[in-house]
Amino acid sequence: MTSEPDATTAAVSTADLQLHYGQTTVLKGIDIALGRGKTLALLGPSGCGKTTLLRLVAGLLAPSKGSVSIAGKVVADAATGAFAPPEKRNLGMVFQDYALWPHMTVGGNVAFPLEMRGIGRTERQARTMRALERVGLSAFADRRPSDLSGGQQQRVAIARAIVAEPQLILFDEPLSNLDRELRENMVGELAELIASLGLTAIYVTHDHSEALTLADQVAVMRAGRVEQLASPDALIARPATPEVADFLRLGGIADLERRGESWNFKGSDIALMPAATGAVGTARVLIPVAAIMPGDMQPGRLAATVLRSQFRGDGHLATVSLAGTDHVELQVLSRIKLRPGESVGLAIDSNQVRWFENSLPSPQ
Amino acid sequence: MKGHANGGSAPAAWLAIAGLVLVVAVPFAAVVLQGIFPNLGQGSFSGPFSSFVATLNDSALIGMAGNTVLLGACVVLASALVAVPLGVFRALYRVPLAPLWDVLLLVPFMIPPYIATLGWIMTLQPRGYLQQVLGFNLAPFLFSLAGMTVVMAFNTFPVVYFAVSRTVEAVGARYADVGRVFGATPAKAFWRITLPLSAPGLAASLMLVFAAAIEEYGTPAALGRRAGFQVLVTGIDFRISDWPIDLPGASIMSLLLVGLSLVTFLGQRWILSRRSYQTVNGKPTAKDKRPLGAMKLPVVLAFAIVSFLATGVPLLSILATALSRTISGGLALDNMSLDNFALVFQNSAGALGALANSFSLGIGTALITGLIGVTAAYTVVKTKIRGRLAIDTLTIIPNALPGIVVAVGLILAWNMPWLPATPYNTPFILLLAYCCILLPQPMRYAAAAFQHIGDNLEAAARVFGASGVTAFRRILLPLVFPSLASAMLLVFALASRELVASVVIAPVGMQTIATFIWRQFEQGSIGLGMAMAFIAILITTLLPLLLLALLRRSGLVAE
Repeated sequence: MTSEPDATTAAVSTADLQLHYGQTTVLKGIDIALGRGKTLALLGPSGCGKTTLLRLVAGLLAPSKGSVSIAGKVVADAATGAFAPPEKRNLGMVFQDYALWPHMTVGGNVAFPLEMRGIGRTERQARTMRALERVGLSAFADRRPSDLSGGQQQRVAIARAIVAEPQLILFDEPLSNLDRELRENMVGELAELIASLGLTAIYVTHDHSEALTLADQVAVMRAGRVEQLASPDALIARPATPEVADFLRLGGIADLERRGESWNFKGSDIALMPAATGAVGTARVLIPVAAIMPGDMQPGRLAATVLRSQFRGDGHLATVSLAGTDHVELQVLSRIKLRPGESVGLAIDSNQVRWFENSLPSPQ
Repeated sequence: MKGHANGGSAPAAWLAIAGLVLVVAVPFAAVVLQGIFPNLGQGSFSGPFSSFVATLNDSALIGMAGNTVLLGACVVLASALVAVPLGVFRALYRVPLAPLWDVLLLVPFMIPPYIATLGWIMTLQPRGYLQQVLGFNLAPFLFSLAGMTVVMAFNTFPVVYFAVSRTVEAVGARYADVGRVFGATPAKAFWRITLPLSAPGLAASLMLVFAAAIEEYGTPAALGRRAGFQVLVTGIDFRISDWPIDLPGASIMSLLLVGLSLVTFLGQRWILSRRSYQTVNGKPTAKDKRPLGAMKLPVVLAFAIVSFLATGVPLLSILATALSRTISGGLALDNMSLDNFALVFQNSAGALGALANSFSLGIGTALITGLIGVTAAYTVVKTKIRGRLAIDTLTIIPNALPGIVVAVGLILAWNMPWLPATPYNTPFILLLAYCCILLPQPMRYAAAAFQHIGDNLEAAARVFGASGVTAFRRILLPLVFPSLASAMLLVFALASRELVASVVIAPVGMQTIATFIWRQFEQGSIGLGMAMAFIAILITTLLPLLLLALLRRSGLVAE
């Protein structure tokens, strides 16, 4: 894991950042810090507060409590009432709905940030064309945004965000309005752009593959809190909570309880693995997709019924219900298509089972 | 709670508040306070509510309020009877010459009701055009509740006609077809889907007609007085213009009228916001419409008759009168001349002055209401700053303020003896009145335009370095300008021919187009008045339409 930058050297950081709307608390104290040239993804389901956090960083909202710093300077602090408006924060931003100004040409849109920074006409034109070339749209400078396709509009929005070389670029679910194929292409292009320009970026998304592809650090958010902040590798290897594991679709979550010599699925006689002596009580575990081998029903394998199955590119990802347990659902990857209602036998590699920290059994 | 931190919203909000206080709050507060404190004119707050009892016990007042509601209800009923069948036919069937009927039914919007009424008088009165052509007159009918109802309904029913035909058409295309897919017959789909979905739009348009009918001055004044039929508007006019002047009485009647209009307006707003399925997109298409079959002739006949009554009668009557050398000469070729038009341009009876006054006031009103409207709409729609509720309320009030009430409020507010300076008895009092009456137009247009602009367009400008003021000027203003310009042109057209406030509070010796027409009619120079009326209709509709077309062509939304 990379070393955490502290507030003074970080490109952007927040301290105990909170936002309340009357009685409703949207953000419940966010502490993040991001180094220069790094990308942070804010990942979470809709309503988790990730876009709100981004708008607080942008200065489009003011915090109820806590502070935001950009490049070591406090830009918002609820305690002192200090607040720098968005135009004073030297930002670029890509909006979910693109937010291209319909009354300006593509070139006019991209040139706007330079114009606001008081850059002269000739330099403005050169830099605008350079930014448009980067996204492959230099031939479209005189068109209206409405003449462009969704993907092209998205590129214009990106050109507008990078043209002034801001110290921080904010992406607010930039690809969610594109269809899947275009989205997958754009993720790659964006990753390349961010790397080649050495951008410092915050990237909001609800798509875990986008987040894990683009970001150096991923903050998984839920209900106004950061559930886990880690690098993509660490996140996959060591999800902090069942919710994180579930959101990243790493596998099935199961509750276990100690029954004599073994860990059984809770409320059942089905044993998952032997228990070390001294282990007590109950535990919650992640059984990763990779830990399960599906096959025919054989002795030593766990019986399960297929609930549903979806093709995923590298095989059929099936959700199965473990027989004899209280609704334990696991995910298995199968090369052949499994039909709902079919019975399968599961071999589970207990070495890959991941125990969650707050429910660790005593040392093994 | 801290909301948007838009530094740019404060100047807009302050401008909107200052304008709204001057234009709306002052006259409105004056009416309310005068109603409560009858001795306010003497600077005393004594005897609050004392005149309420006396005025409300006045049986004449009850009669006037009853007449007002009765007239409104009759006009609503008549409008519905004419407009609903035509609208439904237009929406669901292939009506021959449909675009022509639509254009003809738009014309009544361009004819101010008082001018239409004068046209009807010229037609139906004894020895009027009807008698000259067909040998009989309908004067007893015209100067009665029934006559007022018909004249007003023919002026306002197009509101209902267009609401019904557009809603039924859109609903028919979008939802009724879905019903057909799931097995409903065309008749079932109409009763079960189209009608319930169109009802709110119909109800809202009828409430608009009711609101217009209860505030109307010209028609009840010209037709009702002779029939002894007094409504609140004419009653208020009587109390403030005839000796002894009764300001407390006028203000209580004004409050009653405001109450009626406010209930109507809020009802209409509630229906439209909660229960309307009216769709703006979806151009009317001729496909999928059913042929009329055997109904073809009667339906076309109905459209022709209604169009003639709504558009032909008033316009032809005005034109015939304006072109007549003498009224007694009647409809005869040798009685035709352009003398009356020549007289207008020779400044007879101050005609040119009236035109100039109305046009300057119209332009001034358009500019001021445009500025207040755009800043207020921005503050209400796009910001979350404190006080925006107050601004919203202040912009709603004028919707429920009939012209006569605005006039009463301005008289009360600016006639206080202790005021060091007052716009009273200057043209500025008319400017204030027109601004208050017409403010809802730019406000409504600008608010709708702002609602269509995604919040992120402004946020993007801020993020990319524009200050709040710059973002407003460079992004929001150009985007709402087309709507705002249309609204301001409408304001110009309506302000330059406004009647009731002009009659009541125009300074001594100052004429506007409307007061000129009204006075010439009362004084018997009917031909001169009608020539002015014709010129007014022409200029106030053609000029804005021409400007609009020019702005469109020159690329209104240039950078």
